[in-house]
Amino acid sequence: MTQTELGGLAWPARVQIWDAALAAVRGYFRDQGLREVSTPVRLRAVAVEPFIDPIAAPPGLLATSPELAMKRLLTRGSGPIFQVAHVFRRAEVGARHSEEFHLVEWYRLGADLDPLLADVEAIVERVFDATGTKGHAPKTWQRVRFRDVVASTCGARLRGDEDAEALTAALPPALAAEVVAALAPAHDADPAARTLLAWTAFFSAWSDMFFETWLKGHEGTHLVEFPRPLAALAVVDAADRGLARRAECHVGGLEIANGYVELRDPAEQRRRFAAVNQLRRVHGEAALPIDDDFLGELPGLPPCAGIALGLDRLITLAAGRTRLADVSLALGGA
Amino acid sequence: MDVSELRKNAKVQLDGHPYVVVEFLFVKPGKGQGLYKCKLKNMITGAVLDRTWRSGEKFDPANVESRKMQYLFKDQNGFTFMDNESYEQVALADEIVGDDSAFLLDQISVDVLFYNDRPVGVTLPSHIVMTITECEPGVKGDTATNATKSATVETGHKIQVPLFIREGDKVKIDTRTGAYVERINT
Repeated sequence: MTQTELGGLAWPARVQIWDAALAAVRGYFRDQGLREVSTPVRLRAVAVEPFIDPIAAPPGLLATSPELAMKRLLTRGSGPIFQVAHVFRRAEVGARHSEEFHLVEWYRLGADLDPLLADVEAIVERVFDATGTKGHAPKTWQRVRFRDVVASTCGARLRGDEDAEALTAALPPALAAEVVAALAPAHDADPAARTLLAWTAFFSAWSDMFFETWLKGHEGTHLVEFPRPLAALAVVDAADRGLARRAECHVGGLEIANGYVELRDPAEQRRRFAAVNQLRRVHGEAALPIDDDFLGELPGLPPCAGIALGLDRLITLAAGRTRLADVSLALGGA
Repeated sequence: MDVSELRKNAKVQLDGHPYVVVEFLFVKPGKGQGLYKCKLKNMITGAVLDRTWRSGEKFDPANVESRKMQYLFKDQNGFTFMDNESYEQVALADEIVGDDSAFLLDQISVDVLFYNDRPVGVTLPSHIVMTITECEPGVKGDTATNATKSATVETGHKIQVPLFIREGDKVKIDTRTGAYVERINT
């Protein structure tokens, strides 16, 4: 790991590395018995998540992820499926962000994240291997619980079910100040939206001030057992109501994947989408449309878990580079 | 403007000063709000500072413009320059030109920075050639030692030059440091 070089790959090398990586990903899933799907890129509605902004494509929106469409296929009996999807997120432009990128997204039946985390480790290894950089792949993977790593890095002891005020009170001053600042324009939002806002601001500030530094000392890391307000589309743990069955995978300080044991309760999912829309209004952004077709079919979703992996980032890592642009096949001028 | 427009080299107005973005990093820690982490350089003073914007915030673009101008003369109003395209003349106060006045040769072409249509700074070419008007006699053949002597150039400015330099020689000077670079053979 960490052996990086400056500058972009030559064009033939870019074509070679994408071909090798795509073949490795597809080969892995075929070996595992998953079927490949390709769902529409222009949609009526996308998953409503904080700080993921779709790009308009009248009369719809460009997909920010293939998640809702793939779950509807699962509802209709697809069985385990994967997709290499083109996705779009407005105003995400930087060394490790691009408004258009590739998500490898897959679903397995059964309410268990562990097989998906094993898939991530296997795919990372196969892609490094296929691109001729096996020696630089992460040698170790560790699993850390959100509560534990928060406590060890910043000292806060959190259960995961605190409301905005209780969370603020539990945080060290530097983090509490960030949460208070984020809550200031939301005094008239309802408690669910304030809780979401507080936890989102906390997670962001904590990642920036503590977690990213901590991650750099570790090779592969799965962050598991998220606090309930950050459940997004994941189920809440039946035994511990403060925890959501969500995981994030990081390689050498770079987040590469995010997965859920999928929520199958349409009323709960609608409440979460509505809270995000309130949060968007606090930030002066328009509410996003709710996908009623998806929510209508959600009760039929079999117990399953899904995860999405940023392929552009993985290829950048495998190429020993630091910028997506160094390996991208984007030709510029578009 | 929306912060999503921020890029390296963007010109930003902060506390009434124009800044240029010299380093730019977009991050979304913990899937939270996007952060635009910038290192900014004050276009007038050169001072550098760090500033982070959150997605959704606005920034004020700095109304700055660099114009190629020619130095004409100095009088009680300061240093007068002429725009190479419009021939418009502008007088810059002594404190704006500052130490750069030592290198203002007649008709030298410079970049004048305008902020909100007011001239606020001068950028000289990084190297200029000036004539030595006064110095002690040259020491023939002594090109190897690091010894230097004081010499006066045509603007009246004094610089340190090697011992072999004579009156009438043309020398290249680095305007950023004021240091002698080399003798120009003519």
